[in-house]
Amino acid sequence: MHELRMELHSTDRAVKVDAVKKVIASMTVGKDVSMLFTDVLNCVQTGNIELKKLVYLYLINYSKTQPELTLLAVNTFVKDASDSNPLIRALAVRTMGCIRVDRITEYLCDPLSRALRDEDPYVRKTAAVCVAKLYDIAPDLVEERGFIEILHDLISDSNPSVVANGVAALSEIAESSGKDVMRITASVLQKLLAALNECTEWGQVFILDSLAKYTPADGREAEGIIERVTPRLQHANSAVVMSAVKVILSYMELMGSQNSDAIRALTRKLAPPLVTLLNSEPEIQYVALRNINLIVQKRPNILENEIKVFFCKYNDPIYVKMEKLEIIIKLVSEKNIDQVLLELKEYATEVDVDFVRKAVSAIGRCAVKLERAAERCIAVLLELIQTKVNYVVQEAVIVIKDVFRRYPNRYESIIATLCDNLDTLDEPLAKASMIWIIGEYAERIDNADELLETFLETFEEEDPAVQLQLLTATVKCFLKNPEDTQDMVQRVLDMATEESDNPDLRDRGFIYWRLLSTDPDAAKIVVLGDKPVIEDDTFKLEPALLNILIGQIATLSSIYHKPPDSFVVRRRAGLPTEEDDEDDEEDDDDEYDEEVRDSGAGGVDLLDMGGMSVNDHKQFTPTAPMTRVAGPEKAGGIEVFSGFVQEGGKIFMELEFSNVSAGQDISTFAIQLNKNAFGLSPANQQVIFQPPISPGSSGTTRVEMAMNPAMQVPTPNGQNVNPQIQVAIKNMHNNGVFYFAVNLNFECLFSADGEMEKTAFIEAWKSIDDRHELYATVSDLPADSTSIEDVQQKFAAYNIFFIARRPVPNAEGQEVVYFSMKSVHGMTFFAELTFKRGVNAAKVCLKTEATSYGGLAKSALESLLRGD
Amino acid sequence: MITNFFVLSPRGDTILAKQYRSNESSSGKDMGAHERTHTEAFFRKIKFWDDTKSVAEDAEDISTSSVGIESSSSTSVTTKRMGDAPPVFVMPDGLTYFHIRRNGLVLGASSARNVSPNTVLEVITTYVICGLSLIRISFCLSPLLGQLLSTIARIFKDYCGTLSEEALRKNFILCYELLDEMIDFGYPQVTRTENLKSFVYNEPIVVDSVPLTGNMVNPKTASAAAVHKPVISSVSANGRKTTGQQNSEIFVDILERLNVLFSNNGYVLNSTIDGCIQMKSYLAGNPELRLALNEDLVIGKNSGRYGSVCVDDMNFNDCVNRNEFESARTLSFIPPDGEFVVLNYRITGEFSTPFRIFPSIEEVSPTKVEITVLIRAEMPSNHFGANVIVEMPMPPGVTAAASCSLIHAPGTGHASAEYIAAEHKIVWTMKKFPGGAEQTMKVKVTLNKPCTTQIRRQMGPINMCFEIPMYNVSNLQVRYLRVAENMVGYTPYRWVRYVTQSSSYVCRL
Repeated sequence: MHELRMELHSTDRAVKVDAVKKVIASMTVGKDVSMLFTDVLNCVQTGNIELKKLVYLYLINYSKTQPELTLLAVNTFVKDASDSNPLIRALAVRTMGCIRVDRITEYLCDPLSRALRDEDPYVRKTAAVCVAKLYDIAPDLVEERGFIEILHDLISDSNPSVVANGVAALSEIAESSGKDVMRITASVLQKLLAALNECTEWGQVFILDSLAKYTPADGREAEGIIERVTPRLQHANSAVVMSAVKVILSYMELMGSQNSDAIRALTRKLAPPLVTLLNSEPEIQYVALRNINLIVQKRPNILENEIKVFFCKYNDPIYVKMEKLEIIIKLVSEKNIDQVLLELKEYATEVDVDFVRKAVSAIGRCAVKLERAAERCIAVLLELIQTKVNYVVQEAVIVIKDVFRRYPNRYESIIATLCDNLDTLDEPLAKASMIWIIGEYAERIDNADELLETFLETFEEEDPAVQLQLLTATVKCFLKNPEDTQDMVQRVLDMATEESDNPDLRDRGFIYWRLLSTDPDAAKIVVLGDKPVIEDDTFKLEPALLNILIGQIATLSSIYHKPPDSFVVRRRAGLPTEEDDEDDEEDDDDEYDEEVRDSGAGGVDLLDMGGMSVNDHKQFTPTAPMTRVAGPEKAGGIEVFSGFVQEGGKIFMELEFSNVSAGQDISTFAIQLNKNAFGLSPANQQVIFQPPISPGSSGTTRVEMAMNPAMQVPTPNGQNVNPQIQVAIKNMHNNGVFYFAVNLNFECLFSADGEMEKTAFIEAWKSIDDRHELYATVSDLPADSTSIEDVQQKFAAYNIFFIARRPVPNAEGQEVVYFSMKSVHGMTFFAELTFKRGVNAAKVCLKTEATSYGGLAKSALESLLRGD
Repeated sequence: MITNFFVLSPRGDTILAKQYRSNESSSGKDMGAHERTHTEAFFRKIKFWDDTKSVAEDAEDISTSSVGIESSSSTSVTTKRMGDAPPVFVMPDGLTYFHIRRNGLVLGASSARNVSPNTVLEVITTYVICGLSLIRISFCLSPLLGQLLSTIARIFKDYCGTLSEEALRKNFILCYELLDEMIDFGYPQVTRTENLKSFVYNEPIVVDSVPLTGNMVNPKTASAAAVHKPVISSVSANGRKTTGQQNSEIFVDILERLNVLFSNNGYVLNSTIDGCIQMKSYLAGNPELRLALNEDLVIGKNSGRYGSVCVDDMNFNDCVNRNEFESARTLSFIPPDGEFVVLNYRITGEFSTPFRIFPSIEEVSPTKVEITVLIRAEMPSNHFGANVIVEMPMPPGVTAAASCSLIHAPGTGHASAEYIAAEHKIVWTMKKFPGGAEQTMKVKVTLNKPCTTQIRRQMGPINMCFEIPMYNVSNLQVRYLRVAENMVGYTPYRWVRYVTQSSSYVCRL
């Protein structure tokens, strides 16, 4: 160490360089060389760019552990940032951005803004990325200094790499902030398309990715862009090809059906590049195949004639083979089934067990998919069963069960063959499948009871799945042939109910027992009832998910076939996500927890424990905010207060009448509502006050409201809904009619089914354009609205459902809460509330597709928060 | 967008480690430690890849159809060989890893990325593991990153001359410098060797190339990799270094890899050519080049035109100017330094296969099987197949013995055939296989059990590996390659080679 230090202080440049190299070498292998920090730092004062680079490398690595010392280097950075050599300028800016020390960022701003306007494109492009780095550390600073605007300017830069990096930086900021800073306008679009032809391959990827997020105004614009993007399909870089495919696929949607010729032409153009991806390295093939899997689901016609290229090669890695099989199943059709079957049969003799099993099950899936070819598929399966290879037989049995479910009562003839192979089965799934088949077709198998008997001998050792199937199958058998199997059923039920500690098995056993003992006919209906016919599961992703994933081609989600938020942790200011990237297993646990919570809240509180903590809180019941809507001078001596409330899922208009000077007891009225924006109308026109209101006193009643679409006045798009409801009341005592208007308090229209899954919420939240966001700040909150728990309680009473809460990163004491609500009309609203500890205010942000109603929903939340 | 990048040796030691972004999940002092455990965990994962988990997932997919039956996931645990790990997977820590294998080495990188509400993914960590038999770079932005990995591997090779643990260790400073320029804040920047040259100051330390054993060489890179010379010392373009007289030379390979599948009666079931024109340029001054291909080249199977060469699809390197391609099938480009692929092409459908394989099986007695494999070379007699290896798996466990006898055509170099009991296969090698000749191998297999259909099925398929120098199946030709402008006294050496290789050349038995 000491020697190194001496060398670092050497005056000989070569010795110095060597010394720094040694330091970095030990740093790389994990040795701690941070004690040399100041010594290394001293070397930075040099004109030698090689040495400078080395020192910067060291600096970046130790800036995290030695933030104080890094400050010493700030001056060098600032100086270097105005060096005459553009390489040094860029190096300084780049390094400064990599040092994530808060205090350094202040010094970063000036050099950065200079660098962004540097004459050298290399410096400009480095600076563009540096803005993204800075945004990661100090987003406020970036916005304050107007760096985002400068980035926008960079998009029209003359150098294509600068454009590409500008796009990359803006996209990153847009994604981490959730704000739409990367808005593509017509002029930006032209510039991007122009830069696309010139910039580096990676730049092309950035630009194509941002284009994929853009929605063209109409089909013609989409077509125009596609035309410019199509040449990218011939790029040698697979990343460029995939991104281009993504852009084209997403725009194809917009071209609509009137343009089927163009779409057909495009479809033809897409196939060759996709197939060519399969000739690259196996790793890229894998990625391509996962993506093709999606594309095939979306547009099967692109590759319908190319099934041959997905046939596995002898030397493909196993993971490529598995993916190819998946795609073969997706592309199989009446036309090519013979070819495919021949191929699959061949795969079934290969060495790799997993692959063979998958091939066997693929044959079965073909049978399920193609009714007309089912017979041929089954013939192949039977042939494979004849080979008596243990795992082939097991897999075949498992898929044949599916075939039976798909085509009930059609291929029973093969049961005999299956029964011959009973003894080869040793896996639970295969056994369970076989037992299911025996139970289902017990009447056609002469010795069904004997076969079951053989399985029963080892009942206790079996896997729970097998035990359950055995139980069911025995009962089925008994119902079909009660004479011979009574003993057996009795024995199985005994074993299931008395000797097993598996609750599922025990429960099922008891149910069967009771059914059989009380009403065998009912048992027959239950146990032997028709089962729904299963369907081909080839195109198994839901269309909505598929569309999301198509938009994500060439990203990880297209490989996992999951939407991005299901495996990615968001970094800042955005949506709540749990640790979704954990194993599925843990997800299941979460769900389970949620279920437990739900059932606890659902009122049946078996253990009488769930209520304890709840009781500490005030119970909120919705009340109607009453406003004075008519005075006695207008309403024939009656003062009227009115408001709306929801109770038990019904909406009521609450009316309070004060008999000021009507001169007599009043009790009976008729009510009529004018057409309004909500389609509300009284369910019953008669309004009766019980007891009658004598002069000088007052009384309340409520009128149930019904939703009547005929009563709804449509609100033009983009306009805010008028919350006013005009009411006419007829006093039945003197036939006097008076009118008043009351503003609907929107929260009464939130329906009880507005609760959402967290994932669904995130999806929905993200799908809404930020332009449709509404903001409000509510200050001077009453005491019962400052804590999130209280607000949550209160909102729950109004059917405003809590989704999630989480602290805001990088902001002490701030917390955001997410709520969802749904109006009785089916409009959904999503709200994000931000609270800060110690501050008596909350920020409300509301998003909805029903923009006209958004303002109302927002003010409803505001007034609830305020408590008025 | 990559946060981390590292290179590990085959034993899992860190050779290079570069962090581009901070990882939020870890902070402060334990960062270094955190990273190290990551690389270790990753290394363990790929080394002992156990795919039960992914299989269970697949099983889930499949069992969606088995509604009525309570399915339980299969419990069989299979420990897999190294190399079975799919190139993209998530580790329990939430990071996504991507890795590739090159040249017997494995290049990998891994990263977990964050995705915004919309589309773009954010990479958290990227790693490179590298070593004598293993270099891994892993990334996250899927194809982009997969491609980037290959690119980085190529660049390292261009600069260091070879890609090996030793080369990387000795040149690690250079590699850091390159990484710095290639990726900024996780965004790939410049990845063209000649562009990088102006930013990179370190000089490579040349390492003797590690002799790679035959089957470890990836056929795609093996040929042009014959020249193990770092680009930087041969170039005096930026005037910074003028180290003596340099040969101006350019290597051009027209490389075709064949995928052919024969049925047991010798019919071609499936055949594709996967070809590329690859160059390695050491031309001083980077002059513009013109490359002319067959004039009657047809692109697109269904284009309706007819020509001597018909390719399904073709894609080109960035630097290629295709203005005259439609009319005259000429490309012009300024060759980047180092190794690069000018274009890739793909041909499916009928072409004359260089070798045809005719197997036949005869059961002499229940425990004796006689297999005859006849291979006929159908290319012209002035060409020959080199390093021909024919492999035929035998049923494991039941094959007691197998004796091979050969009938060779004249002109065949050293040849042998034997049964390798440990690998349960028959290996037949020929140094040279002249065009137009026929070779036959007769194998007498003795089984220790009577032959059943299942045992029959476990024989084969026959897999053939070969290389045919100066021959290509597709007829795609380089008509000429010349420097665009006439420069006096500038006569670069041009080495044009045609090579046909087997990629998957299989005959079913």
